[in-house]
Amino acid sequence: MSNYTMKRLRLDRVASQLLAAPTSPAARLSRPSRISRSIPQTCRHSSLYNTQPCQRRHQSTAAPQAPREEELVLEPEDGEPIPETLRSGPLPSPHPSRAASSAKLAALHARLSLSSKIPVETLARALVDPSADAHPKYNNANLAYVGSTVLHYHASETLIARYPRLPMAILFTAMKGYAGNPALHQVARAWGVESAAAPGEEVDPGLLQFDPMKPTVVMNKWGYVRAETIESQKFKSGKGLSGRVMYSSNPFGESSAAKALPNFEVDDGRNTKTMLLQNAPANAHANFVRAVIGAVHMHCGRDAAKSFVKSHFLSRTFDLSKLFEFDLPTRELARLCARENFEAPVARLESETGRLSRTPVFVVGIYSGRDKLGEAPGPDLDSARVAASINALKAWYLYSPGQVSVPSDTFAEDAAPWKPAYVDIGEIIS
Amino acid sequence: MTIRALEKISVGQNGIGSFILQCKRLDIHYCDHSGSSRGMNAFIKTHLSKFAQKNPAIEFAVSPRPRKHPVMIGHYINGRQKSICVANMEPSQILKKAELLRDASGDKVKRVNKPVTSINESVRGIWSPYHGNGMAV
Repeated sequence: MSNYTMKRLRLDRVASQLLAAPTSPAARLSRPSRISRSIPQTCRHSSLYNTQPCQRRHQSTAAPQAPREEELVLEPEDGEPIPETLRSGPLPSPHPSRAASSAKLAALHARLSLSSKIPVETLARALVDPSADAHPKYNNANLAYVGSTVLHYHASETLIARYPRLPMAILFTAMKGYAGNPALHQVARAWGVESAAAPGEEVDPGLLQFDPMKPTVVMNKWGYVRAETIESQKFKSGKGLSGRVMYSSNPFGESSAAKALPNFEVDDGRNTKTMLLQNAPANAHANFVRAVIGAVHMHCGRDAAKSFVKSHFLSRTFDLSKLFEFDLPTRELARLCARENFEAPVARLESETGRLSRTPVFVVGIYSGRDKLGEAPGPDLDSARVAASINALKAWYLYSPGQVSVPSDTFAEDAAPWKPAYVDIGEIIS
Repeated sequence: MTIRALEKISVGQNGIGSFILQCKRLDIHYCDHSGSSRGMNAFIKTHLSKFAQKNPAIEFAVSPRPRKHPVMIGHYINGRQKSICVANMEPSQILKKAELLRDASGDKVKRVNKPVTSINESVRGIWSPYHGNGMAV
């Protein structure tokens, strides 16, 4: 059940380049090759990035040494053709130096009560979708990946520790209800993020920039993806629940990732398969939200990211009991009682009224020995019995030990050692 | 597999977990010459910078609107706008109006006649006639 709580995430490996200061305008314009070591003198003026934000980022515990400007400038892009000449056309997204003068961006920063450790330039970068700017150093794909892993980790550990008996299908759906694209889209809209009509150099850096007609990145990778996943996609196997547990590549039990693009392949040079999303605005908004979480994680640390996730995502109201749909609740309850060595469940009529009228009401209770497992009213005896067994099953599956500690609580310096949490063996499979 | 899951989305409520100020932009319009803008011009000179400093979550846009009354327009996260004409008002009165726009949620003004509005289930549950000892008629 808890197959994905304990996966080790190598965030440092993914995100070390996020903390390295973004390149100066020279790198952006010229992308010099490894051979030409000379930097055009005109492009070497210090940008805003090379002055304060790098210094501020060192306050973060995870921050590596920021590379020098020369190294950054001379770093070749991985595997793409590097033009020698200066780019003459307009940039695909606003220049980072404009972030400091954007009123919208400053207002968004303050509205989210973000720490001053997070520079507005990072927030501006979080607003650029890969479909607007394919350059991985200027879009939010990497930040969003970090943010999604942080968000999924905290959501899953909270759900599993708080509801140790959730069936797998419900757990997947609950994860999607908290951290899926639709929920994150709503969060972004509640944050008051506006999107630009079209991405470009001239738009305000405080607007979300994406292009629905261009390829983008879908954050549906989760830890590692099994090699068999792609095979199972081809042969349409692994569609059952255990197949979803084994082969799904995202935390929501969906395996669309195998069909989708491999991660981060959005460079205009390499991307040959064009993937058009069903709901590009929702994906762009969700990626922005994930990128903000990633930015909080990278600049303010693990604890700040945890409290950010808690306050903005896990505090949302979500009634898990509304997610269940049963096929054969009475049989499942009987199986459950047999598995747990309870006495076989018996339905008893507790109260009734108007049996011969047009609107009778029967109240049926389900008993196992002397213990009452569930109760429900219904318009006839059978549906009351079914409703009562559904209530009994929900009472079992939604058992909660209350406010329990989660594994990430032990990350603190002076934390008590981890006491293993109770996690149930799983649902009834019949 | 007898359990299927129905897809639902979690519901956010502003102020639970985190609070987001609903006013995201305040447009301030004034006229240089008209007498009705005299208070507004004084407000812009004396109060506005302090007010903007205290409310960093709001984007302020000051622009002239010649030969028209001074107006403040608040833009809200829910997409609505609220505008107040502040002609012939004193700077302190205009400050009150700016605070009103800042604190508004952007919703239409509604009559609230219930003490509690909640999406949570009631703790006590709904009264049932089928439980307890019943009532003798």
